[in-house]
Amino acid sequence: MSSILLQNAIFGLLVGGLYGLGAVGLSLVFGVLKMLNVAHGELIMLGGYVSVWLFTLWRVDPFVSILAGGPALFLVGAVLYQALFRRLIHFHEEHKIKNSILIGFGLALILQTVAILVWEADERAVTPSYAGSVFALGGVVVPLSRFAALLLSFAALGGLHLFLTRTRYGTAIRATAQDEQAAALSGIPTGTIYLVAFALGSALAGVAGALVSVSDAISPAIGLNWTLKALIVVVLGGMGNIFGTFIAGLFLGVAESLSGFLLGNVYREVVGLALFLIVLSLRPQGLFARG
Amino acid sequence: MRGQVVAVSLIALALVLLPALAPRDNVLNWVFLALLYGALAQSWNLLGGFGGQVNLGHAAFFGLGSLVTRTLWLNQVPLPLALVAGTAAATAMGVIIGAPSLRLRGPYFAIGTLAVAEILRITTANALPEVSFLPTTYLAGYRLLPRYYLALGLVSAVTFVAWWLTRSRFGYGLAAVREDADVAEAIGVHAFSHKLLAFVLSSLFAGMAGGLFAYYHVSYYLQFPFNPIWTFDALLITFLGGAGTVWGPLVGAGFFLLLRETLALRLVELHLLIFGIVFVLVVLVFPGGFVAAWRALATRSERSLQ
Amino acid sequence: MSGDGPELLEAEDLSKSFGGLRAVDRLSFAVVEGEILGLLGPNGSGKTTVFNLIAGALPADRGRVRFSGRDITREPPSFRTRLGIARTFQLVRPLPNLTALDNVLVARLYGRGRSTALRTARDESLDLLSLFGLSQKATTSAHALTLAERKRLEIARALAARPQLLLLDEPLGGLTTTEVSAALAQFRRIQAEGITLVIVEHNVHAVRSLCDRVIVLNSGRLIAEGRPAEVLSRSEVIEVYLGKASRAALQ
Ligand SMILES: Nc1ncnc2c1ncn2[C@@H]1O[C@H](COP(=O)(O)OP(=O)(O)OP(=O)(O)O)[C@@H](O)[C@H]1O
Ligand SMILES: [Mg+2]
Repeated sequence: MSSILLQNAIFGLLVGGLYGLGAVGLSLVFGVLKMLNVAHGELIMLGGYVSVWLFTLWRVDPFVSILAGGPALFLVGAVLYQALFRRLIHFHEEHKIKNSILIGFGLALILQTVAILVWEADERAVTPSYAGSVFALGGVVVPLSRFAALLLSFAALGGLHLFLTRTRYGTAIRATAQDEQAAALSGIPTGTIYLVAFALGSALAGVAGALVSVSDAISPAIGLNWTLKALIVVVLGGMGNIFGTFIAGLFLGVAESLSGFLLGNVYREVVGLALFLIVLSLRPQGLFARG
Repeated sequence: MRGQVVAVSLIALALVLLPALAPRDNVLNWVFLALLYGALAQSWNLLGGFGGQVNLGHAAFFGLGSLVTRTLWLNQVPLPLALVAGTAAATAMGVIIGAPSLRLRGPYFAIGTLAVAEILRITTANALPEVSFLPTTYLAGYRLLPRYYLALGLVSAVTFVAWWLTRSRFGYGLAAVREDADVAEAIGVHAFSHKLLAFVLSSLFAGMAGGLFAYYHVSYYLQFPFNPIWTFDALLITFLGGAGTVWGPLVGAGFFLLLRETLALRLVELHLLIFGIVFVLVVLVFPGGFVAAWRALATRSERSLQ
Repeated sequence: MSGDGPELLEAEDLSKSFGGLRAVDRLSFAVVEGEILGLLGPNGSGKTTVFNLIAGALPADRGRVRFSGRDITREPPSFRTRLGIARTFQLVRPLPNLTALDNVLVARLYGRGRSTALRTARDESLDLLSLFGLSQKATTSAHALTLAERKRLEIARALAARPQLLLLDEPLGGLTTTEVSAALAQFRRIQAEGITLVIVEHNVHAVRSLCDRVIVLNSGRLIAEGRPAEVLSRSEVIEVYLGKASRAALQ
């Protein structure tokens, strides 16, 4: 019994790492731009297709595809920002959030339909030679590729952290997030910073998408589900709090997996909802936020 | 003003008499759909247009209304009772979701409603994966006419509420909350209770529309009314016609269905793409929709006449 | 603790911090019925925060607020408005897409002693607009008004709630000299109608001529209180208020 429980918890942790990485980009964009891009899951879906594409064309390993998925989605994000979201940047805060949500909602439909037109509606999967390999760890079975994906999620997050705290550019992004006017006065080109932050958030979605493709099938319809997970995770972790977001992702993965095991798979999604509503009513600043 | 009253009365009369005038069922069916979509969009408009709160999970209330109504109705509960129960379920859901998320600023309400809708859809798909068919005894007595008049009644009721919002104390309070919740509070408007009541009204009518859908459709997957496309259509119709206006959602619904039928003949997927692009353009470039465009034209021609 | 007449509002031991910053620090003062009280202090000394605490826009960390003897510390802002506290905002905040008339009308419909009949409320709102020279702009969207018009609209809107206590946050900022003297006359009329005013203002001449009494804040703390002429000549006030350099220049 307890070893099955542990097995489920480990599996939840592996999935949760992807939830966390999938949500970090959304959280970053919200923290810096005060915009909520509800087409974030569709960006993850596009990242997944980059990896599927490279694999079917040239048998590129999905872990290598991260190197293409990230930059490709960085570009997509930059274009989307310039074409759409940039127009909202000087709106009053509530107005900005509201309009970014509306635009993201339309954009999600557009991207999903484009994916159907280009790749057709059915699922595509990447099948590298090691797809089914597992290793045992004290009686618990761990799928190799998911484990590697979790490690890479940690690495991506660590990289993001170093970028934001140790580089000039990262510092400029944080300064802009805190106080745009003060940042602009001290010579930071805030317009470019917003563009880069949005593109960076998209790039993180691209990386997450490539990692998703390692162990899950990709289809045009997965976007909304990923947006949903990302939103729940962002609320649990505290809006705009990057580390809280990642921990919340792990937490949601484990909670879903354990409740799926204990209550039956039909209701595993309900657990996310219940958690979400409880946090919203009792601790709207997030589970893992200070104060 | 008087011209408007005359026009509305004429259109209402035409809609009441339509079943007698239109010989073919497919015309009636088309108008039925326009009324159903119009009612759903108008219900979104009550909160989204007049109250400024973006509900991204409107399908949840439509879906819950249809699920409860359908289940009860197919289990021999009389239709009116089943409709009331479906509506009540959707309204109760509105309170449960609205109470925590409307208290908070920022995107919590949009996130909360989107999450609820998706989770209800997935759970319904998991728990009740079958297609719901009308049994043969029900099919034998199936007629479009009562469905049509129910839709007409529903659209009239929800549009009446929208009209009431333009000329009542509560409507003014809600408009103030939409514009600036802090200022609204500073002049005596309790922002939260206004948002919550608007949300309850909105989910109530969405639930009713869902019940009507359950009464109308012969066979569908029970999860289908939870599909986010219903939310999207309601938003698109509202913004096309004019969010926060009384007639916008109805004009938008007529236009939407015309365009969809025309496009869907040839371009099955493409029409979604076009709708997505149109929606983003309307939000970004022309947030007032048709009604605002019409008003702008009207005042301009008035000026040029003077 | 203050002159004659009963106290309309009492703030007792009020504190409010933002993160580590103490914007209002254990502040106690009272507002006497019928007076015009000036709330002074350098930039960032906590004046607007005090207004937010009185009006209920922000919750106090500690302390109490009493209005007409009633403890309102935990009441929401809309309730305080209905009790009789109205305010304006330092940066004017009209309801941008509503007409000037509707801006006032909402307050008339929801404020203290409200008219619930739409028609009466509309007539009363039109009267208020004409009192503030805004009749011509009744059907103009508030965002299309000039700054001076928006400032007048905001005061009209606050008065539409029929307050006993009116909080004005820098109502003269950005106005021309003629507009300032018109506004001062307006404030005296408001006082003559029995409304008590608390006014935050940097314009020293206006404060001298208008206020019956002033209190001075520095870093969220009360540092002086009394008649305007007397308080404004105290050296410690001049020091915090104008800075040492300007003090030298003044002498
Ligand atoms: N919502 C808030 N969040 C964080 N800090 C705040 C907030 N409101 C005010 N402050 C800070 O509290 C201090 C007092 O601000 P407040 O606006 O009350 O000063 P003020 O006396 O009105 O100044 P001014 O004359 O410039 O209007 C300032 O340092 C300000 O930056
Ligand atoms: Mg101030």
